[in-house]
Amino acid sequence: MPINTFAKYFRKVYTNFATHIYDVPPRMLAFLILIIFTIVPYAGIEPRRLDILTSANLMAILAVSWDLLVGRTGLISLGHALFYGVGAYSSAILFKYFQWPIWVTIPLSLIAGVGMALIIGTPCLRMKGPYLALVTMAFPIAIVGFLYYFRDIFGGEVGIQRLPRVFTIPPFSLNERYVANYYLSLVLLALSSIIIYKIATSKTGIVFVSILDDELGSKACGINVTKYKLMSFAISGLFGSLAGSLYAHMLGGSATPRYFYDNTALIPIENSIVPIIVTILGGIGTIYGPIIGTYIYFLLNRYVFENLIQIDPHIQLLVFISIVVLLVVKWPRGIARTIVEKLEDLEEPREIEEIEKEKTKKVEKG
Amino acid sequence: MPLLEVENLTKRFGGLIAVSNVCFHVNEGEIIGIIGPNGAGKTTLFNLITGYLKPDSGKVKLRGEDITGLPPNKIANKGLVRTFQIVRPFRHLPTIANILVALQSYRGKKRIEWIKTPERKAMEMLEDVGLTEMMLEPAENLSHGDLKRLEMARAMALEPDLILLDEPFGGLSLVETDYMVKSIQRMHLDGHTIVIVEHKLYALMRLVKKVIVMHMGEKIAEGTPEEIARNDKVVEVYLGKAI
Amino acid sequence: MLEYIIIFGTISGLIYALIALGFTLVYGISGMANLTHGVFFVIGAYLYGVFSSYLSQLISPTFFYLIPVFAMISSFVLTGIIGSVFYRVTLHQILGDEVGILIASICGCIIFQQLIYIIMGTTAAFSFRIELLVPGKITLMNTDVLAGQSLAALISLLAFIVLSVFISKTKTGRAMKALSQDLEAAMLVGISTEKLYMFTTAISAGLASLAGILYTSTITEGVTSYMWMLGLAISFTVVILGGLGSIKGSLVGGLILGFTGTAAIKILPEAGVLQQSIPFIVIILVLIIRPKGLFGKRVEME
Repeated sequence: MPINTFAKYFRKVYTNFATHIYDVPPRMLAFLILIIFTIVPYAGIEPRRLDILTSANLMAILAVSWDLLVGRTGLISLGHALFYGVGAYSSAILFKYFQWPIWVTIPLSLIAGVGMALIIGTPCLRMKGPYLALVTMAFPIAIVGFLYYFRDIFGGEVGIQRLPRVFTIPPFSLNERYVANYYLSLVLLALSSIIIYKIATSKTGIVFVSILDDELGSKACGINVTKYKLMSFAISGLFGSLAGSLYAHMLGGSATPRYFYDNTALIPIENSIVPIIVTILGGIGTIYGPIIGTYIYFLLNRYVFENLIQIDPHIQLLVFISIVVLLVVKWPRGIARTIVEKLEDLEEPREIEEIEKEKTKKVEKG
Repeated sequence: MPLLEVENLTKRFGGLIAVSNVCFHVNEGEIIGIIGPNGAGKTTLFNLITGYLKPDSGKVKLRGEDITGLPPNKIANKGLVRTFQIVRPFRHLPTIANILVALQSYRGKKRIEWIKTPERKAMEMLEDVGLTEMMLEPAENLSHGDLKRLEMARAMALEPDLILLDEPFGGLSLVETDYMVKSIQRMHLDGHTIVIVEHKLYALMRLVKKVIVMHMGEKIAEGTPEEIARNDKVVEVYLGKAI
Repeated sequence: MLEYIIIFGTISGLIYALIALGFTLVYGISGMANLTHGVFFVIGAYLYGVFSSYLSQLISPTFFYLIPVFAMISSFVLTGIIGSVFYRVTLHQILGDEVGILIASICGCIIFQQLIYIIMGTTAAFSFRIELLVPGKITLMNTDVLAGQSLAALISLLAFIVLSVFISKTKTGRAMKALSQDLEAAMLVGISTEKLYMFTTAISAGLASLAGILYTSTITEGVTSYMWMLGLAISFTVVILGGLGSIKGSLVGGLILGFTGTAAIKILPEAGVLQQSIPFIVIILVLIIRPKGLFGKRVEME
C-alpha cells in the first residue's frame, strides 16, 4: 500500500502487511530495523561504545517529542532542553529529599514534565511564532539562574550528584551494564515512538495537524485550539522529561544545570538545538525522521569524526548546521522522509487503483 | 425571534471606518445575500459576526443570545459556521481528515452520537459534495473547485443552524458555479439558514430572497433582488453616477 | 542613588534600544522575525576589534582618533553585507514559512558563532574586549561616569536620529515606510520588495554591529561568540516593552529595560550574578502578563 505518511490515519484501513517487494509499510520496516538494533551489541562492538547509542536513543526520544510539537502541531520550541532538565532535576530532587527508588521518581518526573508544560504553556502558547520561539529559548536560560539562586536545594553549578543508576554494578558487571543500558533505552525509545505514533495518527493528531496548517480554519471548525496546543505541549513535555530523567539515571549520574545550558559545550543551548538538527536531518513531521536523524548525527559526530576521521568539532558543527539550513531552505522533507517517499514512488501504477478501491471499501466498513 | 440579529455593528481600523452602524436580521430558514463593491466592508462584517474581529460597538445575537466578541470556535460550536473567501484547507491532511477535524469539535462530537463513526459521517459529507474519490488524497492536491466544495462539506459537517458563505463562487467556472448554486439550494431546502456574500450577482440573485447592499461600511439598501436592481442608489454605487 | 539609576539607566537603555532597532526595523518592514540579528550584534564587535588593530598599523599615531571611526564604519558596512547576503541566500527563499524562518535564522546564529570560533580562535571566542572609545571620567549629576560610556550612549542616540531622518527624507527610506504600511500597495507602485528587503536587512545588521561595538566597549567581560542569545534576548525584551515595528518604541523599550535593569541591580546586589539573565527573565514576565507586549495591538486576524 502506498505510504503517504500524513495520510495514514486510519488504523482500520491498514490491516495487512505488504505484498509488493517495495511496498514496506513503516511498521514492517521499523520492525526490521528494531531487530537489527537488537543484534547490535553482539556484533563485535566494544561495550563501552554502546553508550553512544544509548545516548542517541535517549536524545531520539527528546527529538520525537520535539517533532510532535513543532512538526505536527506547528508550535515552535527553541528550548526543549527545558524538559530534559526538568525530568532530570525532578527525579533527582525526589531522590535527594525522599530517597524514593527510581521506579517511583522517574514516573513522577514525567508528571513534573507535564506540569511544567501546562504551567508554561498556558500563558505562552497564545503568542505568535517569534515570541514563542524566544520565550522557549529563554526559559532554560532563566531556569539556570533560578537553580543558582536556590543553590541549597538544587546544588548550584554542581547540581545533584550521585544519583542511583538503573543498573547497579553489583549485580551487573561494567560491560553488562553498557549492554543493559542500551537495551533499556532501545525499548523505551520504541515504546515512546509507538505511543507518539498512535497519538499522531489518532483523531487528536489530526487536530494537531489542522493547527499546524491553519489555526484560524481550525477554530472555524469549532476546535478549541488552546486546549489542543496544551495537549501537544504536555505530551511533548512528558516524553522530554522521560529522556532527561533516564539520562540522569543511566548515563549522567547527576542532574546539573548543564542539561539546560552548558557553558562548556559548543553551543550553550546544545540540548535545545540538537533535537532541531536531528529532526530536520531526518525529516520533520514524521516519527521515524527524528530517530534516523539522531542516529546519523550521533554516529557521524561521536563515532566517525572522533575516531575515524579527525575533524575539528567546530567545523563539524558548522557543517551540520549548514546542512540543516540547506535542508530547511531547499529540501524541507529531510533525508529519511525523502527516501521513504521514493520508496512509494516505486509503486506500479495499476496497483494503486486496486489499493485505493480496497481502502475505500475498508473505510466504509469501518 | 430572528435567528441572527446584528445591531449597530461598528469597526474602525485607525482612521478608517470599515463597518459603520450596520443593522440587519436573518430569520430562520431565510437565504439572504450581502453585496457591495470592493472594500464595502462585507468580509469585515463576516469577521465581526463570527468572532475573528472584535467590534468597537454593537451587538451580535444568535437566537437572542449575545455572542458579540466570543472566540470563533465558541461561535462555531453554537451553530454559526462560516466559510472563507480564500480557501484554506488543511493542506497536509487527506480530504476526509479535513472533515474529521470539524467532527472533533465539541459540536461535532455531540451531534454524531447517533451515527456509527465520525469516518462514516465524514464520508457522507464528501458524498454530498461529490468528493468521494478524492477521499484519501492530501488536500493540497485538490483543484480550486474541489477545495470550495470541501470547504462546504467541512462547514456542513458541524450541522450548523446558520451558515455564512464568503464568496462561495469565487474562482469557479460556469459549470462549477452551477453545481455550487444547486448545492446551496439543496442546503436551503434541507432547512439551513444561509447568508452569502458574493460578487457574482447573476449567481447570487437567483438564489436569494433578500439582498442587503453595503457601501463604504454602511448598509445602503435592503430588499428583494428585483427591488435592489431597480434601486438608483445601488446602481450609482456600482456604476458611478447615474447618467 | 536616584541619579545613578537615571544616568546609568539612560546609558544602558540607549544601547539596548540600538541593539533592538535593527530587529524591529526588519520585522516592521518585512514582517519577518530574523533571529540571525542576534549574531550580527556579536560579529560587529569582533570585526571592530580586527579592523582596529589592522588600522592602528596603517594610520600614524597622531591620527589615532580616526581609528575607531573607520573601524566602526568598516564593521557597519561589512556586517551589513554579510547580513544581507545571508538573508538573500537563505531566508528570502522561504519567506512564507514562519517556522522555517525561525529555525533557519537560529541556525544562522550558530553558523556565525562557529565561524567566529574558527577564525578568531578559542581565547577570543570566549572573551573579546574592546576598549572604551574614549578614556577618562566625567561627572554628571554628581555621579562619576566613564566618558567612553557616555559617548557610546550619544552615538546610539545619534544613530536613532540619523535613521529617522533617513526614513522620512530619502526616497529609499520612504519606500521602506511604505512597505511597512501596506505591502500590496507598495508592490503595485513598483517598489521592489526583494531589493528593499535586502537593503533593510543590511541596515539592520549594520545597526546591530554598531550596537555590538558600543555594548562591548562598555562591559568589562568582553563579548563571546555565543552572546547572540543575549543579543536576541535584549532585542526581544525591548521590542516587547516598546512595541514591534516602531523606532520610537525601540527607544522607549530600551530605556525601560535600562532603568529597570539598573535599578534591579542596585537594589538587589546579589542579583548581579543574574545580570545577563535579566532580559530573559523580563521577557518571560512581560509576555506572561501581556502576551502581545505592552504596546502591541491585539492582532485579531492574520
